[in-house]
Amino acid sequence: MIKHLKALLRGDVDARCLEKPNVRWFIGYCIAIALGSSVYGATIGLWRAPLQSVFTAIKFPLLIFLTCIGNGAVNGMLAQVLGSGLSFRQTAFAILMSFAVASLILGGFSPITLFILYNAPPLTSEHAIIGHSVMLLTHVFVIAFAGVVANRRLFGLMQKVSGHDHTARAVLFSWLAGNLFLGAQLAWNLRPFIGSPTLAIRFLRDDPLRGNFYEAVWRAFRHLFL
Amino acid sequence: MNPPPLPSRQSPFLANNFVFEPMPNAGDPGAILENLLKHPGRIIYQLYQTRAAALAGWMLVFGIIGVAIYGVVVGAQSGGAQLWMAPAKLGLGILLAILICLPSLYIFTCLGGIDAPLWSLCGALFAAVCLSAILLVGFAPVAWIFSQSTDSVVFMGTLHLLFWIIGIRFGLRLIDATGRFLGATSKGNLRIWSIIFILVCFQMTTTLRPIIAPSKTFLPTEKKFFLAHWLDSIASSRQEEVRKAVH
Repeated sequence: MIKHLKALLRGDVDARCLEKPNVRWFIGYCIAIALGSSVYGATIGLWRAPLQSVFTAIKFPLLIFLTCIGNGAVNGMLAQVLGSGLSFRQTAFAILMSFAVASLILGGFSPITLFILYNAPPLTSEHAIIGHSVMLLTHVFVIAFAGVVANRRLFGLMQKVSGHDHTARAVLFSWLAGNLFLGAQLAWNLRPFIGSPTLAIRFLRDDPLRGNFYEAVWRAFRHLFL
Repeated sequence: MNPPPLPSRQSPFLANNFVFEPMPNAGDPGAILENLLKHPGRIIYQLYQTRAAALAGWMLVFGIIGVAIYGVVVGAQSGGAQLWMAPAKLGLGILLAILICLPSLYIFTCLGGIDAPLWSLCGALFAAVCLSAILLVGFAPVAWIFSQSTDSVVFMGTLHLLFWIIGIRFGLRLIDATGRFLGATSKGNLRIWSIIFILVCFQMTTTLRPIIAPSKTFLPTEKKFFLAHWLDSIASSRQEEVRKAVH
């Protein structure tokens, strides 16, 4: 399994692995996602408090799995109508594969983010706001990097599977758009991840299903520019 | 009418799923959905063979069921009577849109140089609606999550429209491919018809309103065009926000 995950990171996975999705690999990807993203999640919440760290370690993999489940049907359908030739199971497998790559990268970055956390002004200092901003920017950068690399690997695999650049690009773009769209909302529902310095530590905010990420962005935009 | 299978002229985007060839297990309703997604070219081919009426009938049934399933998610935001009203209105709306647009589809195919009987075009239109309904069912979990997160009818209306546009965009590709299969001399006519179909569907959502928000009557008492209705909804949503901010 470790050999397979290493090949996945190198981008050396053969298109044949999607022809007959292997249950062992499926479980392996789920474990990789659970471990990699929860270790990284723990470093996200640690700046606020150890309890927040535990909460984020649970919520980060939950966010990934909920996004995969929520978009599972539509991702499978889009892959088929765009002509990739992938079945629902193969689509779910390919997407899990890319999330596994991202999670492994995030897991690998955890010591680095911990080191940055060690050097960041703590919550109790008068420069706490700088600490918060530095941690926020670091996580945005690391998560974006992991996402870009994972999608490059997925693109390579899709090229091999579909045999066409344009089909691979169209399928990947549609998956990416759907996963970002739902993922942003689910992240909003599962907030807080870093934890606001001024609010009490909680697993979820009060009434977590109320509120909408896109409306909040629109309101912020209107306050700033309109 | 049994036109000979044509070699598919594939645009690069439709690389490997618009091959016009016979559909294995053509009598199996379960195979229809799979072929619509993976091999729509087979469905188009099969619509011009014997037993095409059964195939078209199944696609209409699946299309209406799919739209009704999505309708339950649309109605879930308001709950109560909207849980049955929204699926009923969406199912009825798509059926009416098909009936209204079918004659013009026939005219436009003739203008495009295609000699096809009306019943065969019915099948192509049912296939388009069925494919878009399947995609809507795929979007249903995403729409449900958002419907539980907001009270904004404008936001949810925009989201539902976005999902429907994505679905119908793939559905109308089938109409385009049918034109190619039947040897249309120009694409423009079917494109114009596609715009007409989309506008009719937009208007249908206004004619059968409210679909998302709760209502006391099944149908509206005031007649409006869809653009006027959308602008009114946006304006009343802003007023509501201002009122909330004041309180």
